[in-house]
Amino acid sequence: MSSSAMKKKVLLMGKSGSGKTSMRSIIFANYIARDTRRLGATIDVEHSHVRFLGNLVLNLWDCGGQDTFMENYFTSQRDNIFRNVEVLIYVFDVESRELEKDMHYYQSCLEAILQNSPDAKVFCLVHKMDLVQEDQRDLIFKEREEDLRRLSRPLACTCFRTSIWDETLYKAWSSIVYQLIPNVQQLETNLRNFAQIIEADEVLLFERATFLVISHYQCKEQRDAHRFEKISNIIKQFKLSCSKLAASFQSMEVRNSNFAAFIDVFTSNTYVMVIMSDPSIPSAATLINIRNARKHFEKLERVDGPKHSLHMRMR
Amino acid sequence: MEDDCRPLLGYEPTGESYSHRGSTGSLDIRTKRPFHVEPRNIVRDDPQERISAEAAILNSRVHYYSRLTGSSDTVLSPPNHVIPTAEEIYIYSPLGTAFKVPDCDPASKNPSIVTIFAIWNTMMGTSILSIPWGIKQAGFTLGIIILIFTGLLMLYCCYIVIKSPKAIKGVDTSNWEFPDVCRFYFGKSGQWSSLVFSMVSLIGAMVVYWVLMSNFLYNTGQFIYIICPYPKTNPGRNDTMSTLCLGTMGNDTSENSFEHYWSKNRTIPLYLIILLLPLLCFRSASFFARFTFFGTISVIYLIVLVTIKAARLGFHLEFHWFEPSQFYVPDFRLLFPQLTGVLTLAFFIHNCIITLMKSNKNQEHNVRDLSLAYLLVGGTYMYVGVLIFAAFPSPPLSKDCIEPNFLDNFSSSDVMVFVARVCLLFQMVTVYPLLGYLVRVQIMGQLFGNHYPSFIHILVLNIFIVGTGVLMAMFYPNIGSIIRFSGAICGLALVFFLPALVHMVSLKQQGNLTWQSAVFHTFLIVLGIANLLAQFFM
Repeated sequence: MSSSAMKKKVLLMGKSGSGKTSMRSIIFANYIARDTRRLGATIDVEHSHVRFLGNLVLNLWDCGGQDTFMENYFTSQRDNIFRNVEVLIYVFDVESRELEKDMHYYQSCLEAILQNSPDAKVFCLVHKMDLVQEDQRDLIFKEREEDLRRLSRPLACTCFRTSIWDETLYKAWSSIVYQLIPNVQQLETNLRNFAQIIEADEVLLFERATFLVISHYQCKEQRDAHRFEKISNIIKQFKLSCSKLAASFQSMEVRNSNFAAFIDVFTSNTYVMVIMSDPSIPSAATLINIRNARKHFEKLERVDGPKHSLHMRMR
Repeated sequence: MEDDCRPLLGYEPTGESYSHRGSTGSLDIRTKRPFHVEPRNIVRDDPQERISAEAAILNSRVHYYSRLTGSSDTVLSPPNHVIPTAEEIYIYSPLGTAFKVPDCDPASKNPSIVTIFAIWNTMMGTSILSIPWGIKQAGFTLGIIILIFTGLLMLYCCYIVIKSPKAIKGVDTSNWEFPDVCRFYFGKSGQWSSLVFSMVSLIGAMVVYWVLMSNFLYNTGQFIYIICPYPKTNPGRNDTMSTLCLGTMGNDTSENSFEHYWSKNRTIPLYLIILLLPLLCFRSASFFARFTFFGTISVIYLIVLVTIKAARLGFHLEFHWFEPSQFYVPDFRLLFPQLTGVLTLAFFIHNCIITLMKSNKNQEHNVRDLSLAYLLVGGTYMYVGVLIFAAFPSPPLSKDCIEPNFLDNFSSSDVMVFVARVCLLFQMVTVYPLLGYLVRVQIMGQLFGNHYPSFIHILVLNIFIVGTGVLMAMFYPNIGSIIRFSGAICGLALVFFLPALVHMVSLKQQGNLTWQSAVFHTFLIVLGIANLLAQFFM
């Protein structure tokens, strides 16, 4: 079985200017080159090579751009684009004045998905919500959600409202990732057990490429509701700095008199972060615990889901 | 992380901060707004959050997003509606304490005294050099009366200009200048006319600058050439207090080669091209804005100079009411419109007063502060004008000899005046590119939508402006006339016509237009027209 056949796609589509490139840059910590803005429409799939959840590749497409060139290219390459799709994420600009047109393009994408990858999961993001007045946001989002749900039948679509200037983007993508991890509930139960055994204050499970939180366990109330996004931002910045030196980030330990935090590779798709508030426990103990847990969790991943097990066996 | 001190905000197109003459650029707070909040100190476990959660997470996002783009790229810059309000912004010291940003509204910052000074500084231009001549043209008594009267009139017009955006309901006028108000009431034609007349005042100022710069450069050169090689035998030694009457001095027919190449009207205007045309082509004028303090120093030095000269020369005043005499001019003359023309430009600030007043801390004191500023400016002009006029040595010379540029009445060898000329020359060389920048931004912005469409466009515009200046300097270097004509032209639109019309229309819309008010404001418009027409006939 050739590895290229295994590369399933995550399609990120939407009208030109709806914010996909910025979104991708923020979630995946890619540098946005100045040129993308000047060029306007993202002309090509960008061959992004962004690996997501192990074996998924992110493809970004402008849908329904202003050029007929885009339209023709789209229709002629349609089957190619929409084959092997695991996830379709469609981005709507909430400020768009051409709702009819947006829905029309969305529907043509759905038709293509139905034909070529009927098992794909569909997510709709109503983006740039910060431009809407706060008291109207819920109302407008509910309207859009109803319309989209109606249009998407027989496929089921999950809608989120997002903005890069609040926590909604991070939460939406975290929810998407959560739904893409197979057997995520079992992971969560095991994570809780792990945390209780090692007496950790909090244990987080992050997706490897994007540091989106897949699941977490906390034994007591934490003050900062935004801590996941903050950690994610900090680590992504660190990864950006590391990549400048052609180094890659593997693990981190932060320790002071009040706590110790460990961030380390966990399974092939995930990172784990363990917070211990008892500083008397030596680092080595926690690291051994994490290492042992790693083996257990990898077994878990291997057992479930044919896609992942195939991927594991090939390595 | 790199560049922690770089302000994360403050991106604004450079044109906006120069919508008025450069000296107020430093008053624009937006470019200096502190929004960089350091990550919070995690050493102590305070029960109370030191910054709000939203501000903390926004800071984390802004930090991260700024890593994703180039430093000048704004695609991921936080828009204004996303920044927390001033109460939620904290500044951290490295030692871990945090304090709130003191009430930092983007637009109101400066105490009254600073605003008054800024207005005085912006209004004080080179027209101060022509006030004595203007008083001479109008007659001493009439001149003083006109100065007070014109000052009050222009103060009132300035007052209705500041009031005008406030009368507009339903639209956010916080960033508007007077041309925007005109556009609101009169559409495109209103905006265009206010723009065109604003350009007239700017280009008029630039032409005057060129003439004066040629003059000062010439005199500087004369001083250095004549005086310095021959310090012992300089003929001007005894004349440090003497004044000249250029009209009665015979033309020096014997020209040596120095004077052939260093001639006020023939060659120096051309030499200046080499210096100033490249400066005009700079893309940004922020470098020149640093030197605006020089203007203040020059004016203060002029005041000191005038005081000393007056003290040395003493007063020579005689009152002849209507008939001229050999050495004196009548106190009431028919040439008085020339003074009103000069004063219209001298008191002109109406194209940028809204912006200047915006940064006043106590907005309710705007009228008071404006009046004080006008009082100060009028007082300065009166002081200089009256002293020079009065101290002009009339028995040997006639008052009619007062030159449009009163420094011309002093010989090239006068040391104090030489210093004044050098200061003013330097100040003008630094202000000239600023004025050119303002003209360029407004013209290019209106015609092409872009402040710097291409080098050729800018070059053509600059050549046109410089050419006008050179031609005037070579063939008609009478700055009194240039000032009064450009003052009357731009005054007609921006001081009398448009403000009065806007005021009447807004009163009408509110239903408050009384016939007295209508008559008075129409009378203002008539005055403006009369001012302009009189320049041609008197």
